[in-house]
Amino acid sequence: MKTPEIFAYKPTELEAEKASNSYLMSLIAIMVGLPLPIINLLATLFFYIANRKSTYFVRWHCLQALLSQFSLFVLNSMGFWWTVSIIFQEDEHISNPYLAYIITVFIFNIFELGMTISAAIKTRKGQHVSWWFYGSLTQSICKP
Amino acid sequence: MKKSILQLLILLMFAAGVYLLVSRVNWMKLFRIEKMTDALEKKLGDIVWSDMEEQSIEKGKDFDRVSSLVASLCKSNGIDSKKIKIHIFSDNEVNAFALPDRHMVVHTGLINSVKSNDELSGVLAHEIAHMELSHVMKKLLKQMGYSLLISITTGEAGGGAIKELLGMLSSTAYDRKLEKDADIKAVEYLKKTGISPNGFADFLYRLGEKDGSLGSLSWISTHPDSKERAKYVRGE
Repeated sequence: MKTPEIFAYKPTELEAEKASNSYLMSLIAIMVGLPLPIINLLATLFFYIANRKSTYFVRWHCLQALLSQFSLFVLNSMGFWWTVSIIFQEDEHISNPYLAYIITVFIFNIFELGMTISAAIKTRKGQHVSWWFYGSLTQSICKP
Repeated sequence: MKKSILQLLILLMFAAGVYLLVSRVNWMKLFRIEKMTDALEKKLGDIVWSDMEEQSIEKGKDFDRVSSLVASLCKSNGIDSKKIKIHIFSDNEVNAFALPDRHMVVHTGLINSVKSNDELSGVLAHEIAHMELSHVMKKLLKQMGYSLLISITTGEAGGGAIKELLGMLSSTAYDRKLEKDADIKAVEYLKKTGISPNGFADFLYRLGEKDGSLGSLSWISTHPDSKERAKYVRGE
């Protein structure tokens, strides 16, 4: 899912740090945000807005982090509201489809967590990391 | 952009595939959720009933009438009537309710206020439906939660929690959807037994009118919109 590529130019130390921080934002938010799925998205969104006028390398990685958080946000939100409906509605109850969904979401979250940590480490070293789908989407949105 | 859309579709298909694969595992069995709930229900039933037992009257005419109606409803619908424990409370309250572990309480106030066996069968079918659809435990789990219910069964929760549980079981309504589900199931039971649901609808309509001759209307206070229910029981 993740391919290290050569970026158009070699980013400076400061750029590498900022790009790495865009991934770290979502990791920090995981610790404070659970179980509210919107916190992660907001954290990466604010970081993206704060760096929208930054260099290409930083913007590119902020946007990739934001886009990946958005799809997780959709998955997590569905799980969150399904859980809320189970708690508050008498006709909703724990079922096999519900447990399967929560486990699926958990698998995707763990996978995304691993990818995020790896991307944070690589971008900190100044390496470019383009994820499958998110990389090409970012490429089509974010221009130099 | 075309590449991204294609990749998105593949990603969505992959996510759906993972979900389908994961959902093939019986997690309810793996986590023993159903077994745990059954054991919890049995224990709660014992505790609740030991607290209410003294209000129950000795077997007699009313008990025989209710038992025979329950037996005939169960027989026609493939339900084991031996598992349903019928109890009669002697007072003016127009009430009937289901407790955990298939205890069914019927007040003589309700028995005296029905005009026919068809009407009484309707109420009994409604309570059997609550049992068969596991509404009793669903309501308890929702309102009290697993941990409090377990602590009641282990004796850690104290008398207050048991009182709350008893109050909830005898007087709190199920939510609108569960009531409707139970009504629809009750109509199905009645039809399979060869009983017209019109009797049940008539009784609901009278409750809706708040007929003064019906005494203390607990069943209506916990079952709102009786007139509306009468309409869909009749199939209008």
